Amino acid sequence: MVKFYQHTSSFEHAWDNVTYAFWLRYPNPFASHVIGCDVLDRSVDPVTGVLRTTRLILKQGVLPRWGRSLIKSPDAYIIEESEVNPKTHTMVTRTKNLNHVRVMQVEETQTFTIHPENPKWTQVKTEARIISELRWGMTGRVESFGINKFMDNSVKARKGMAHILERLRQNAAAAAAASAVAPLEA
Amino acid sequence: MSSSIGEKCTKIKQEYDGCFNNWYSEKFLKGDATPQCDDLFFKYKECLMQTLEEKKLDTLIADARKDNPFPNASSSSSSSKSESSSKKE
Repeated sequence: MVKFYQHTSSFEHAWDNVTYAFWLRYPNPFASHVIGCDVLDRSVDPVTGVLRTTRLILKQGVLPRWGRSLIKSPDAYIIEESEVNPKTHTMVTRTKNLNHVRVMQVEETQTFTIHPENPKWTQVKTEARIISELRWGMTGRVESFGINKFMDNSVKARKGMAHILERLRQNAAAAAAASAVAPLEA
Repeated sequence: MSSSIGEKCTKIKQEYDGCFNNWYSEKFLKGDATPQCDDLFFKYKECLMQTLEEKKLDTLIADARKDNPFPNASSSSSSSKSESSSKKE
């Protein structure tokens, strides 16, 4: 069984900052379940100038009681592949879980572009696919749990990004204020 | 900055993250893609690879990465390179 999900949203922050916040997004108060995040590979394509990154993210799973019999380890490893093209101002990220795939595989793609209506904003297109191979009448339950969990997590992920973006904005404001008074101190 | 999955790698990982964050915001986004953090990345990756082996995650990751997540991008840019995996189709 497969379920699809699609959503477009925006951040009232410039594309540069949103893509930067993507790298800074862990830890944040809305992602306490993220235990670790590592960079497996990273390179800039010499021809296209695109930055490619592969990261591995470890999340502490929170499962409903009926799910605990299905899954030995409640922790989930997520692989995240991303491409940032600074010339076209496009960032594409793809994530999927590495373990528990028989129970449920969630594949999510996010595309960050400059907002078509406001160049100082960023548009985010999210597409996801949730697949389960379980039988014995479990798929429906697993997948609706998966969809709900995915929606909850999307909301949390968004709040996490917004939190980091606000911090960046405050830092920038503080730096601007500091440089404005710096001549007086010198 | 987030921790590494391998506890012993967190320190070097955060050092690398600091370097990368600075490079990304001050250089890469401003059009300068010259690498700046390679030494730190090699040290960090050495530690990380050890951890992944210890946790037996290396094969899991290798299998997952066989699926090319960006098929369009690689077909247009790999024409000049001869990647062994591109001959499968």
